[in-house]
Amino acid sequence: MRRFFRWYGASPLNLLTMLGCFALAGYAAAELLPTNAVGILVWLAGAVIGHDLILVPLYTLADRSAMAVFRHRPPSLPAVPWINHLRVPTALSGMLLLIWFPLIFRLPGHFPVTTTLSLDPYLWHWLAVTGALYLLSAAVLAMRLRARRRGTRKAAARGTKFRRYLPKPWHLGDSADR
Amino acid sequence: MKLPASPPPGPFRRSFWRSPIRGPWLTSVFGLVLLVSIPVLFVTGLLSYAAYNPDLSSVNDLTPGKGLLGFYLFSWPTHPVWLYRLNQGVHVTLGLALVSILLFKLWSVLPKLFEWPPLRSPAHALERLSLFLLVGGAVFEFVTGILNIQTWYKFPGSFYPLHFYGAWVFMAGFVVHVALKLPTMIRALRSRSMIGELRTNLARTRPEPPEAGPLVAAAPAEPTISRRGVLAFAGGGAALIALLSVGQSVGGPLRRTALLAPHGQDVSSGPGDFQINQTAASARIRPAETGAAWRLTLRSDSPLGTAPVVLSRAGLLRMEQHTASLPIACVEGWSTDDQAWTGVRLRDLARLAGVPRPSSVLVQSLERGGAFSKAVLSEGQIMNPDSLLALQVNGTDLSPDHGYPARVIVPANPGVHNTKWVASLTFRR
Repeated sequence: MRRFFRWYGASPLNLLTMLGCFALAGYAAAELLPTNAVGILVWLAGAVIGHDLILVPLYTLADRSAMAVFRHRPPSLPAVPWINHLRVPTALSGMLLLIWFPLIFRLPGHFPVTTTLSLDPYLWHWLAVTGALYLLSAAVLAMRLRARRRGTRKAAARGTKFRRYLPKPWHLGDSADR
Repeated sequence: MKLPASPPPGPFRRSFWRSPIRGPWLTSVFGLVLLVSIPVLFVTGLLSYAAYNPDLSSVNDLTPGKGLLGFYLFSWPTHPVWLYRLNQGVHVTLGLALVSILLFKLWSVLPKLFEWPPLRSPAHALERLSLFLLVGGAVFEFVTGILNIQTWYKFPGSFYPLHFYGAWVFMAGFVVHVALKLPTMIRALRSRSMIGELRTNLARTRPEPPEAGPLVAAAPAEPTISRRGVLAFAGGGAALIALLSVGQSVGGPLRRTALLAPHGQDVSSGPGDFQINQTAASARIRPAETGAAWRLTLRSDSPLGTAPVVLSRAGLLRMEQHTASLPIACVEGWSTDDQAWTGVRLRDLARLAGVPRPSSVLVQSLERGGAFSKAVLSEGQIMNPDSLLALQVNGTDLSPDHGYPARVIVPANPGVHNTKWVASLTFRR
């Protein structure tokens, strides 16, 4: 048993679970693949690569760029985590685009013929929802800033100081490299 | 080839990952949501598959090679009438909403993709292969489903086999992942209190302890969002997506709230009309075929060789008419409110054809070709008193797009099996 563990790296039960998993997946794949083996494998691998190596690096880069751009003007940085007021509406709008891009960009050309519905509204609806998300986010930011400013004035009267929202390297991390 | 023991620079090094909130607790919260929801998606998907009665006839079977994967199939019921409507509304709306949770879950575990060494043992190699099935299968299922409901058929084959067999590949990866990670998830969820996290604002947000596992950054940056903030972000995304699409399944005045769903618009043909996804023009039904010359042919597979019964539309209208309030529900998740359908009961037509106790009926449309130009209905579906060959809807003759001169309407039946422009019914004993 110990020898098995040393060679395999886990218990025999783990191996049995794995074999069961691959037997089931193989059984389904044997029916799935013959229809278009190359196309389906490309799609499966493309799904992993498209998400892990394209989508995630892109949104991470966008997030960091936004923070870097705004950090170069520290005096005007508000005293609340403003980045989330940019991040959240952008991400939500992006998710809606990710899901509905075929309709938004009017790609299924036969759609009006088969459903009698128009392809026109989806782009406008998406833009309107995006605009509403940014507006709502800006309104919440304005409210938080006002509340904070009032709090700062009260605190100043009491003699305590509020810090501006600027990341501090409180833990190992180097804030310039965030 | 021997890999260096220490990871190369870049994402393979733990120091590359800086998020101060990534950690087993956060991942486990997303994992728990998916652990509950993915089985709901899977079961509603299997039920939708069963609703086509693929075992009844090869005509209904879009995946003839299913073998053992069809082990659970049963004759699809006709009660309650909204059964298929609810099933598909849940399947599609929940699936769309989970896109948000899935994206956050995948973000939370991304450092695991760059583990070093990439393969520690045979067990580790197998686990990573199963993760390929899990992530590849998940994204594959979501993408094929999402493109299908928008009728943008760009996937590599027919939707039904891709989404069906793909679901089994995904579930194989899902089950093994749950089996391996359930103890880790429970331990992580117990490591912090949910209520405590919901009370923790940004200023007091600290990383999970480094000993909690490799997901925790070795050199975390200062947090820009709290853990409760990320949970609200992911949950808010799911809620937004659901709110902007659920109206196409609920119908009524709420349909217009489905701003981005395919069937969130009211049909332009006026009040009293309702959604379709196949017009007479797109099915290439010629007006000449549906005019005065149209006849319905009733056949039986009787060994006595009963002669076919041929009926005109006027002849059908002279038979006993029955009205039933039934919805149209599409596999794509949209549905309509109940419509008042009027026509002849299928069981009356069976009797007329000389088969008073049919085991099934083959319904054939005027449409030539097309995956759903014919369908086979079960005994239970034929004998239900609300199962009709409808001639009218909401008090007027069917429009060409709704299947004039006659269409099938059966309670709880998937939309595509409510065949339009019916040409013949062949009852089997």
